[in-house]
Amino acid sequence: MNAFPILSLIVWLPALGALGVLALPRANLQAQRAVAMGAALLALAAAILLVVLFDRNQAGFQFVESFAWVPSWGISYTVSVDGISLWLVALTAFLTPIALAASHGAIERQERAFLALVLMLASGMTGVFVAQDMLLFYVFFEFTLVPTALLIGIWGGAGRRQAAIKFFVYTFAGSVFLLPGIIGLHLLHRQATGVATFDIATILASLQLGAFQLDPAAERLLFGLFFIGFAVKAPIWPFHTWMTTAHAEAPSSGAIDIAGLILKIGAYGLIRFNVQLFPAAAAWAAPAIGVLAVISIVYAAWVAYQQTDMKRLLAYASVSHLGFIVLGMFALNAQGIAGAVAHMVNSALTTGALFLVVGMLAARRDSRDLRAFGGMWKATPVLGSLTLILVLGAIGLPGLNGFASEFALLQGAWRSPGIGWRYTLLAVLGVALAAVYLLHMYRATFMGEVPPDLAQTPDVRPRELVLLTTMATVVVVLGLYPALLFGPMQQSVTQIAQGTLQYLASR
Amino acid sequence: MDWIIWLIPAFPLLGFVLNALVVRQERQAGILASAMVGLSFATTIAAMATLEGTPAEARRLTWTLWEWISIDDFRVAFGLLFDPLTAVMALLVTGVGGLIHVYAIGYMHGDARPVRFFAYMNLFVFAMLMLVMADNLLLLFLGWEGVGLCSFLLIGHYFDRRTVQPGINPSDAAVKAFVVNRIGDAALLAALFAIFTNFGTLSFYPNPQLGLTGYLDQAIIVAGQSIDFGAFGQLPLMTAITLLMLVAVAGKSAQLPLYTWLPDAMAGPTPVSALIHAATMVTSGVYLIVRNAALFDQPASAAPWVLVIGVVTAFIGATAAVAQLDIKRVLAYSTISQLGFMVAAVGMGAYVAGMFHLLTHGLFKALLFLAAGSVIHGIGDQQDMRRMGGLRTTLPTTFRLYAIGALALGGIFPLAGFWSKDEIIAHAWFDARSPLAAIVLVLTSAITAFYMGRQTGMVFYGRPRDPALHPHESGPLMRWPMIILAAGAIPGGLINFPGLHWLNSYLRPVLQEPEVIYTLGMGVLATITTLLSAGTAYLGWKTYAHDLELRIRVGKDDPALRYLGDLWRGMEIGWGLDWLYQRAFVRPYRAAADFFSDAFDRQGIDGVLVGGAARSMNWLAGGLRAAQTGYVRTYALAFLLGVIMLVAYFTLR
Repeated sequence: MNAFPILSLIVWLPALGALGVLALPRANLQAQRAVAMGAALLALAAAILLVVLFDRNQAGFQFVESFAWVPSWGISYTVSVDGISLWLVALTAFLTPIALAASHGAIERQERAFLALVLMLASGMTGVFVAQDMLLFYVFFEFTLVPTALLIGIWGGAGRRQAAIKFFVYTFAGSVFLLPGIIGLHLLHRQATGVATFDIATILASLQLGAFQLDPAAERLLFGLFFIGFAVKAPIWPFHTWMTTAHAEAPSSGAIDIAGLILKIGAYGLIRFNVQLFPAAAAWAAPAIGVLAVISIVYAAWVAYQQTDMKRLLAYASVSHLGFIVLGMFALNAQGIAGAVAHMVNSALTTGALFLVVGMLAARRDSRDLRAFGGMWKATPVLGSLTLILVLGAIGLPGLNGFASEFALLQGAWRSPGIGWRYTLLAVLGVALAAVYLLHMYRATFMGEVPPDLAQTPDVRPRELVLLTTMATVVVVLGLYPALLFGPMQQSVTQIAQGTLQYLASR
Repeated sequence: MDWIIWLIPAFPLLGFVLNALVVRQERQAGILASAMVGLSFATTIAAMATLEGTPAEARRLTWTLWEWISIDDFRVAFGLLFDPLTAVMALLVTGVGGLIHVYAIGYMHGDARPVRFFAYMNLFVFAMLMLVMADNLLLLFLGWEGVGLCSFLLIGHYFDRRTVQPGINPSDAAVKAFVVNRIGDAALLAALFAIFTNFGTLSFYPNPQLGLTGYLDQAIIVAGQSIDFGAFGQLPLMTAITLLMLVAVAGKSAQLPLYTWLPDAMAGPTPVSALIHAATMVTSGVYLIVRNAALFDQPASAAPWVLVIGVVTAFIGATAAVAQLDIKRVLAYSTISQLGFMVAAVGMGAYVAGMFHLLTHGLFKALLFLAAGSVIHGIGDQQDMRRMGGLRTTLPTTFRLYAIGALALGGIFPLAGFWSKDEIIAHAWFDARSPLAAIVLVLTSAITAFYMGRQTGMVFYGRPRDPALHPHESGPLMRWPMIILAAGAIPGGLINFPGLHWLNSYLRPVLQEPEVIYTLGMGVLATITTLLSAGTAYLGWKTYAHDLELRIRVGKDDPALRYLGDLWRGMEIGWGLDWLYQRAFVRPYRAAADFFSDAFDRQGIDGVLVGGAARSMNWLAGGLRAAQTGYVRTYALAFLLGVIMLVAYFTLR
């Protein structure tokens, strides 16, 4: 037990900031922005402290804070991090101030509410990643929907209604499966051990010690319930259309898109529950999930090429990246899982930064259609060069961040018995296709002749320069020294992989 | 002291960073970039001297900076190695590269973005050095994709222009180069996965600093293994790995079936064509095979395929070069053809011969490109050979230098190309016992001489065809690098002169290749080849400088079209590979993307699946919906349902 509640601080600081923003007078926009940014930066500072203090030689949960909530049902407020959630917490804390900064001047109405909702969302997402109690997890999981839905619904484009309905239908469908899964697991655990708990660590320990043994059919059923819930959220093909629509309908500035990208809740849930708790069912389902993942990778990359709306294109890119992530984690070995976790972070960074670029382009031309642009590299050389770094990072150029994680997860998938080289070879095709769609976008917007009316477009403003340079720097640093990412997660990842290995050996 | 090898790539990287962030002036950028490559060259010499002091059985300097990726048993070093093979490659990259940098100071004068140009050139040298110095395949891959990126950036240097040559848009050419290269890169990635999965390491040789094993001395591990394709039979694992590498080589070294990007790459500035698309980057495929000779030497390797690809590409490329009308496109197809020679050589196991040709070709092809650039520069950025003619009187120095390059490329005794090309042909005939390959290569040599004769005739002889041109000779900054390269291209054969075997002995610690014993038969073969080449060179020159000269007109077809018809057209369009790919891949890809996007995502998933689900949800929520249709309320309903289920469970249990 840690004396200082650092995790709760990271979770609740943004929410506190949101309350502060709402408490300020409506007219005082400067103060609202300052409070929002202050709360986000404080959370970021706490998150950096968390990364520094994190004990990388420990595989289990750290910084545990636990308070009984509903003791008779075994529900508690328990938060903690391990090597996997650590980076997702850090990512959320890093991207929140960026999302806030990106919204400056781009949100035309009700900026106060906007700032508050982004902060609430940050709290909710951090909560999902640190919750160690399944019901707490579920509460945070559901809670993130409210701000997300409102953000799309209030500030969205012409089709926001349709987008919101779609978002709702999907998410609801997912939750319908998730909750029975959680309750079912709790129930079975209580039957087997007599302990009423929703605590993931406790259940995991019972499973590993053999006190709690799941019958294969029950395990597969639970696995399936969790999987559907998270696959919709991730999203994995063919559940991806809510995401592309939501991104296309969200306002141009990119702020919400970033928030959406941090929604790696689906992929995180897959590792935390499906892979970690049900190794046998995961090994059983890996080939089938491998197929879905490969379809996600190739299909989304293929469709992305045809998109003319840059945000829709990037949304498909994001779906393709998620395919890689899922492929990696269901390799069920250390390289695959570590690569998958690192790729969650890397993909959110590069794609998020590219969403920002689209917002900046849209602010200059009032369009996100890539046919409306051309030759911007000449008109805005700094923006063009920074965008190129981000595009290359997303493509997976060695030396930039996307490569190390992509390589690790593909290497893991290639050698894993469940996925194997055949699927992985198809996924490698997706690596080539990434260059096709992203360079197509770059070619259309930044290269070619400059249309006369774009020739005088202003280059990056100081705020934009700071945002993009920060992102590009992270992209380069994580590419050259990915040990920063891989080091702290090593123990946790190895432990999960060993869980699967033990199962496979005992079979 | 082994760490000094890191200085070799560090200087150009520093040059890149400074030029990208600090330098704003054209002259400063050029001098800085050239100086950095010069320092890199000097360090290479120093490293070679250090290398001499190591024992022959471990002639290698290595230095690992940090552990690049480390997850469980997957560990890769961010480390460099410097052995004789790396040394000759680094020497070529920094030596020829440095000369081209100096030349570019003159050539790029007055360009719109010179600082950016020099930054990218330095970045290229850095990436190329990483490629040849990496101590493992993953770091090699960093260089491999890095040079591809620089190629993209430099082909796209004139990205804001519509065309440089007729029909070639520089932006499109840049993207095409990157994408086609990526296909090869993807294959290399797959080869990496297979190698790590089977050998447990990606290091070439043992890495003492990190305690990693090397895979090259364990090639035997996979010798007996094969991949089962069920009804399609079995493929030995070694074949699969080397075949994947061959695809990568085809991408980077512009071999069949992936060479189509290289002719279009000529849209980049001419120094780029000289450095990247002739002397260095495109040879990295050859280097990859030579470095992995231990794999390609295995009985089950794809080496026979390498030979076939190389020989066919050499022939196809040479024939296509004959019918080009753009001065740089001739050289581009010629490069494809010459790379075919090198690939054929390494496919036969004649690694030293392949390296020999790589080095001499680097000298004379760089010279040819620079001289072509001098022509283009001297006549006001014209590349169409039909506009030229009679330039030997107005551009005398360029003409002499070009002629040296052309004779060397044509394989005329005693210039560099003769010796290296002949070693490959002799190897094919006498050692590999592949007379067919040898005959095709001899024919290709003859065609090579022909197109160089044609080009020299068209450009420098005959009458000046375009009165609008006012040719002027290039300044000393451009002239001297060419003169130095020419001085190398004439006696370049000495590198591995019969009887001396310098290159062979130097590379022996890496390649262990026996010295070639020269026989009378080889002399006869060489004599036949060079006489044949001299004859075709004269034929090509005479035809285009005299016989058909009057019929070469600006904007009109080549006069030879009348005699060869469709065959000529086929050669002119590079045998229509672009045309074919456009129809077989690009358009279907677009059409399918359209289909998936519209029919599948929008109408299929969204229409049927989601729409259906939404309709049933609406039906479920019908009662409430009658009152209000805000979706947040609907959401609240869903959340409520969840809570009710939860509470119901705990109360009813």
